[in-house]
Amino acid sequence: MTAIFKREFLSYFRSPVGYVAIALFSFLSGFVFYTQFATGVVDIAGEVISLRSFFFVIVPIITMGLLSEDKKRGTDVLYYTTPINLFNVIIGKVLAAFCLYVIMFINVIIHIIVTVNCGGVVGVGAIGTIIVFFFMAFMFISIGLFASAITDNQIISAIVSFVLILITQILGTIGDYLGSAFTSMFSGINTKIAGTVGSAISSAINWLDPFVKTQDFRLGIFSVSSLVFLVSVGILFLYLTFRVLDKKRWSQA
Amino acid sequence: MIEINNLVKRYGDKNAVKGISFTVNDGEVLGFLGPNGAGKTTTMNIITGYLSSTSGTVKVNGHDILEEPELAKKEIGYLPENPPLYNDMTVKEYLSFICDLKGVEKERRKNMLDNIVAMVKISDVYNRLIGNLSKGYKQRVGIAQALIGNPSILILDEPTVGLDPNQIIEIRRLIKTLSKNHSIVISSHILSEIQEIADRVVIINHGKIAAVDTISDLSKRLSGQSKILLTFRGPIKDAVTKLRTVKGIAAAVSRVADSRYSQVELTIAANDTTETRIAVFELMAREGWPILEMRSLDPSLEEVFLSITSGKGGVKS
Amino acid sequence: MSKLVSTENKKTDNRSDKIKLYSIGAVVILIGILVIVNVLFEKILGKALTFDFSASLSNTLSQDTIDYLDSLPSDTKIQITGLFEKPSNISGTRYQYIIPLLDDYVRSGKGKISVEYVDAKTHPNIISQLDPTGSYDLANNLDSFVIKYNDKIKLVSPYDCYSYDNDYLSQGYYYVVGNNTEYTFTNSMFILTQGYSCKAYVITGLNDDPNTSLKNILEGMAIEYNELAVAENFVIPEDCDLLILNGPDSDISEKMLVAMTQYMKNNGKLLVSVNYNINNTGEEFFRLNKLLNEMNINIDPALITENDPWHQLGGYTTDTSVNTVGAFVDYVQTGALHSTFARSVREVDTPAPSISVYPVLVTSENAATVGVDKNGNEIAGTYVSEKQFNVCMFAAGEGEDPAKAFVFGTTNFTSDEYITSYGLNDSNVTFIKSCIRELTSTKMVTVLDIATKNVDNFSLTPEKATASAATAILVIFMIAIPVILVAAGIIVYTKRKNL
Repeated sequence: MTAIFKREFLSYFRSPVGYVAIALFSFLSGFVFYTQFATGVVDIAGEVISLRSFFFVIVPIITMGLLSEDKKRGTDVLYYTTPINLFNVIIGKVLAAFCLYVIMFINVIIHIIVTVNCGGVVGVGAIGTIIVFFFMAFMFISIGLFASAITDNQIISAIVSFVLILITQILGTIGDYLGSAFTSMFSGINTKIAGTVGSAISSAINWLDPFVKTQDFRLGIFSVSSLVFLVSVGILFLYLTFRVLDKKRWSQA
Repeated sequence: MIEINNLVKRYGDKNAVKGISFTVNDGEVLGFLGPNGAGKTTTMNIITGYLSSTSGTVKVNGHDILEEPELAKKEIGYLPENPPLYNDMTVKEYLSFICDLKGVEKERRKNMLDNIVAMVKISDVYNRLIGNLSKGYKQRVGIAQALIGNPSILILDEPTVGLDPNQIIEIRRLIKTLSKNHSIVISSHILSEIQEIADRVVIINHGKIAAVDTISDLSKRLSGQSKILLTFRGPIKDAVTKLRTVKGIAAAVSRVADSRYSQVELTIAANDTTETRIAVFELMAREGWPILEMRSLDPSLEEVFLSITSGKGGVKS
Repeated sequence: MSKLVSTENKKTDNRSDKIKLYSIGAVVILIGILVIVNVLFEKILGKALTFDFSASLSNTLSQDTIDYLDSLPSDTKIQITGLFEKPSNISGTRYQYIIPLLDDYVRSGKGKISVEYVDAKTHPNIISQLDPTGSYDLANNLDSFVIKYNDKIKLVSPYDCYSYDNDYLSQGYYYVVGNNTEYTFTNSMFILTQGYSCKAYVITGLNDDPNTSLKNILEGMAIEYNELAVAENFVIPEDCDLLILNGPDSDISEKMLVAMTQYMKNNGKLLVSVNYNINNTGEEFFRLNKLLNEMNINIDPALITENDPWHQLGGYTTDTSVNTVGAFVDYVQTGALHSTFARSVREVDTPAPSISVYPVLVTSENAATVGVDKNGNEIAGTYVSEKQFNVCMFAAGEGEDPAKAFVFGTTNFTSDEYITSYGLNDSNVTFIKSCIRELTSTKMVTVLDIATKNVDNFSLTPEKATASAATAILVIFMIAIPVILVAAGIIVYTKRKNL
């Protein structure tokens, strides 16, 4: 695991990918921080929440090559033919991407220091959103890693993870839309049932929305169950990734 | 020691490997011979754990590759046909990553790397980017990678393919050096290469074992198979008749009839072609037919299989 | 032939079939486990593992509310309906503190409270369901909540859930300074379930103060707030349990004097607060004093100035700290309350023996009073010094349910100007509540005492958050750091490329 982690993490800095990803994050977080600072009111929780909406850009950049490149170069042979567990390979790769996120986050820590020095407040809500930020980073990196496992083309992997993360980010809207679409579609048959089923559909989809689940953290309400949800989704995608890699040995295609 | 028992690998409804069984003994170099697409790479991938067999077992020094994969894989160093190299790493970075991957202890690492680098002669490219190396060097780095962790068995898949003749000779020499300390399985589709390196040979075709033999036995079986291609200017019919009378020539078949030259394929009865070639030269000189070209023909693998399968009966009787 | 092949295939595919089955099965089982774990955490452990770390626990109900909810009969059904679709993102909106707290009401209500959100735009019949008589004008309050208990409803607008800075409010900005969500909702429920304990009438028309804070305080004590406008035929209703005159800028009329004197004779309860401000500097409250003199109290046309530096707030002689005395020490934990631009209140020179007068709030021994003319200038020769003055006095008659009056020389206890700046948790508010309790004690039932909560304030120090600092941040964080990183990337890339 440490071998894979070390290689992947260092490879971010051997190629321009890591620098570009961090530069992009610095720019975006700097922009958010500047716009807040210019008004004289800095809410770190607000900044972190804004930064969450850039997951769908940054995560694909840092996860697209994690497994797809190995397949393309043929270096995935090493994972199967050396005495290392496939699961450790996956954990090492996730950790590498996660640590890159941690490094990016130094920007926000600098912003926090500036804020405190300028008499601002870093409330408990900010701490809550930061916790959520990292749990979400783990979840989205898992999704990105999965997207990287199913193809040997970096671009396809990036697009798949981009789409998957984007869907997650607009899940609430999708849920509402599907629910009302169902309602209006079947209201001709039975208005009441169609309405109930429609709202059940939207609430079921909304239940899966990680952003709705964790929004109370900003208000200082820390609920373990929503973090469990984020971890669960992450674990699920990691396991699916493991299955995809393992399948390569068994597949008959 | 590797024991391979009744290995089957299916892709869709096609069997790539159809029940292969053989054993690699300690300290021997086993040549794994077969034409492209015969199932060599698939078999090697199964042995190394890269692929799983549809049925059958592989035991490496007593450890089943499926049941105790980590122990089995520790015993094997694998160089796939396409070496698993990261072009964006230097040789040094790459080899130290492989050390991490194979769990080589820190104390042993430096010593081991020094030995390997000296053995495969890559010290002058040690700090260069792998992507910038020549094919031959990349192959050496690939071999170095397989050697890390001191595996008792090396599995090399077509290690000389795509190299220029000089590089081929260097790599063969390297493999010979390695054979002192390792059991080696080496695959190739070139008979002469296997003959040169291996102690024993497994010949595989269409996913099945055609023959398992020592090199000396193989040579015996292939006797009577040597051929000479002769190109000269002269009357073809007359020449064929006369050539058949030369001592040591079992058959002479005209191959191409052209207005400018004639070409004949000669099958030689004895193993030694030199005497026969002198006799042919003397005949041509006597008749005043100028020789344009005379060279020995390597038998194609298909011919080898044919001769082995058909020749079996011959050997028995 | 093909059949034979296929059966053979099946046989030889055994291992991979097994693996395939195992793979799918493992994924399905994992999903199952994850769903179970999530349901377990959310439904069963959800509440236990939810922690409110917010400042002043703004999203958790206080023990007072929980006790109140527990005291309700188990078959109580209180329904809270938001007349809008539940917003998915509430951060930074006026619902930020409301929706999470309502969730806590549901959790703590143990089935007695339900919360739902029905978009009245798409389901207009919800309005007639909630308010069949149409007396609450719900259609024009589609951002509000309706609390329904039996057939009674109460409308709570999100604006009711906060207190606002009065200075900004006067300019039309809602600058939130306090979070009264729990205060508002619990008190509304309390009033719905218990009914009002008594009725207070607040006289309006003698100043511009809208009495919003006073109304909040009274409702919080389950006292019905009513307004009694100054009019030609000024009559004090029969059911008046408490009469309040809050910070008048002009004197009461003759007719009011008659009515109020009569009211006090019938054992009325009176709360009066006056002060000095630019609108009433010349006002001597002649008729009001005539009324109060019946209770042995007189308000002097004299501004209190404090000479004791320990009693001055911020070095101002007219913004002072005053002490509770006598039995009134028990009204509030802190002995020092906040008084601004106060008039001196004193006992009349020849008191009627049937009425007892007590000082309530006093200045230091080293205070002074000074007369102020219409222009706010000191009237020569009115300076009285080296004395303790009263800022508030209490008078009570004899008997079982006597006439009672609190007279404040400052409006710091009743005005929006003060209370919106210091919040409903201020000691002054606690004190005035005790005074109201004293006045209406015979009528009071158990009363809730819900604290209001703070809101987050993320403002930077203005001296540090200057425009040039902002520019520096723009340059460093948005330009310098990204450019340096990209440059580092390019350098590393080109260097390594040629290794």
